[in-house]
Amino acid sequence: MIEQFAKEELENVAQKIEKEGISKDIRKRLAELGLLAATLPQSENGSGIDRRSFSLVLMTIAKYSASVAYFTYLQNTLVNEILSKAQKRKEEIIKIASGESTGTLVHDLNLNFPQEVYIKGYELYGSNSFVILPDADLHLVLARSESPSYLIMANPVKIEKKKPLGFRAISFGVASYKQTIEEDRIILKDADSLLKSHFFDTSDQIAAIALGMSESAVEKAIEYSKERKAFESYLYEFQPISAVLTDMKGRIEEMKKALMLSEVVQDRILLKLNALELSRLASRVALQIHGGYGYLEDLGVERYYRDSMFLTMLSSNYIKDIKTVSKEIISPDAFKI
Amino acid sequence: MSFELPQEVEETRKRARDFALREFTNELIEHFDETEEYPNEIRKKVFDAGFITIENPWNMLVTMEEFCRVDPGIGLSTLASVFGSEILLLYGTDEQKEKYLYPTLKGEKISAVAVTEPGAGSDVAGISSRIEKTEKGWMLNGHKMFITNGTVADHYYLLARSAPPPSKEKRHHGLTLAIVERRWNGVNPVKLKGKLGMRATDTAEITFENVAVPNENIVGEEGKGFYIIMTFFNISRVYVAAQSVGTAQGILDLLLEYLAEKPASFREMEYVQFALAEISALIEAARNITYKAATKVFSFNPDPALTSMAKYYAAEIANQVANTAFKIVGIEASGSKLEKLYRDAKITEIWEGTSEIEKLVISRMILKKIQEVK
Repeated sequence: MIEQFAKEELENVAQKIEKEGISKDIRKRLAELGLLAATLPQSENGSGIDRRSFSLVLMTIAKYSASVAYFTYLQNTLVNEILSKAQKRKEEIIKIASGESTGTLVHDLNLNFPQEVYIKGYELYGSNSFVILPDADLHLVLARSESPSYLIMANPVKIEKKKPLGFRAISFGVASYKQTIEEDRIILKDADSLLKSHFFDTSDQIAAIALGMSESAVEKAIEYSKERKAFESYLYEFQPISAVLTDMKGRIEEMKKALMLSEVVQDRILLKLNALELSRLASRVALQIHGGYGYLEDLGVERYYRDSMFLTMLSSNYIKDIKTVSKEIISPDAFKI
Repeated sequence: MSFELPQEVEETRKRARDFALREFTNELIEHFDETEEYPNEIRKKVFDAGFITIENPWNMLVTMEEFCRVDPGIGLSTLASVFGSEILLLYGTDEQKEKYLYPTLKGEKISAVAVTEPGAGSDVAGISSRIEKTEKGWMLNGHKMFITNGTVADHYYLLARSAPPPSKEKRHHGLTLAIVERRWNGVNPVKLKGKLGMRATDTAEITFENVAVPNENIVGEEGKGFYIIMTFFNISRVYVAAQSVGTAQGILDLLLEYLAEKPASFREMEYVQFALAEISALIEAARNITYKAATKVFSFNPDPALTSMAKYYAAEIANQVANTAFKIVGIEASGSKLEKLYRDAKITEIWEGTSEIEKLVISRMILKKIQEVK
């Protein structure tokens, strides 16, 4: 069903989506398919899909439109799952699950240094320069204070959109806040640690998006290698080209298996790092095989190159990720110096 | 043995760096990246400042490096406005030089090289554009693709087939090089927009329909155009290597700027320090192989394998360095110059011979040596 949706409703308009954004119609279709609150239990207006099935959903959608896959992940995992964990705000979940409104998570967990969004008393102020979907209806904002950090439902006073490297169907930019918060808008205390663990725990979903993108890039390259000739032979007939494409295919298949087996959080983080690296490599190979044509946006190949790096930037901080795993699997003293 | 460049070249390097930092402002870099316009006014300033001197290629090489260090799009656009001039310098008649080369070197005209076709990129001998003898001269019909300066050039150095290849092994025979003016009847350039990077460069698809080419516009010997182009590639690939070195150095500059703004504790992380060390070593190696290849080319003793090594390796390094820098800077690179250099760097593995073609050139030359030993 998801494959059919992605193939029929996303594949042919993927370039248009990149230019014009994710339309209300697409949001509505994602909602009809139950994907915007896919992993929430039915009692919370979700679809009750298990996490592995949801990873497969993301991987399938990413093959046709990485932007739509990331948007689905953002709504389901970074907004609705967190709202659900906060055990509040059923009405917001319903709105986002139905595609009626959109949400975003404003945080600094993938940055080397914290962004300046603070809360003092009930005064929220500051800005975050790296917000995906800053024009969302609902902002879940990680705000820091002297002691705990808080997750707050807020509305920005100002947003400034920037052209992102990738996922151009989704807006990106700066969100600034300056408002007095009512107590019921604070949905989590000590939010930092909960968000961190949620981020790490759902790393496999990022891996799934990366794998879908990789698969699509490599398939496009294989297809092209069967059409394009050089030196009176098809590209796929050249040993280095066949070898690199076969190698890519093999690595993707292996990682897909690993995706279904990742039980513990360290495995998921490592899987994410490896899948992101693979997606960057696969997109580079695909672009290289397409040559000059790949460098132009018409064929949609350069998009993989931008999207794979942007997904890496959005979803991973290599130093923090590898540090977390090192401390777990080597020693608490690992990665100290 | 000295690894130092002459003082005059180092002075040019400094002047080029100062010029690029002053003239390639962030606003202009963003403007040309966004609009994909050709930076013609900056090109004129580059000429006025005396940076385009193909008779002193070392100066051009270090200028390419320093310009691309600040912005590869604007840097390459301005310096490549004389693209292909070495062809006329080496093979042109006095009349051709008078009419096309000298005005180009004065900045009055812009030139381009038109070799690549929709069905033949790396495979130069596979081109299908035809140039045929007529009673009065020659008639050109064909289709060229990804031509740098295609819509802004006054004339192209164009390769077309003038005779069928004598055999499958000799496909590179029967190709002729001609000078074709953009404004002639039947020449239709169309700008290609939407490139991943290098968006300040003008790139075009050009069709040629019954274009009359006079006899005096044929360059070198009829049917020997392939050799002329390969000689030219030996020169131009060194400049692409310098473009890559400059791009990589620019990425390192930005990474250092980023680190300078962060607390010392971040710089002191050994993971970061190792990455910096690796990047620096790779760039230094790429620069040295580029200069070594350039030494051979500029002393009229080219080593095609070495040139291809420089072009391939420096391109590989530019892209690798971009990836490593992103690993450290992460999302903070979004919308920054670092992001732009990441997009710009990729072209170095594609144009003027893909990395795959460079590897073939290298291996063929090496295999020849094995046969010599036997």
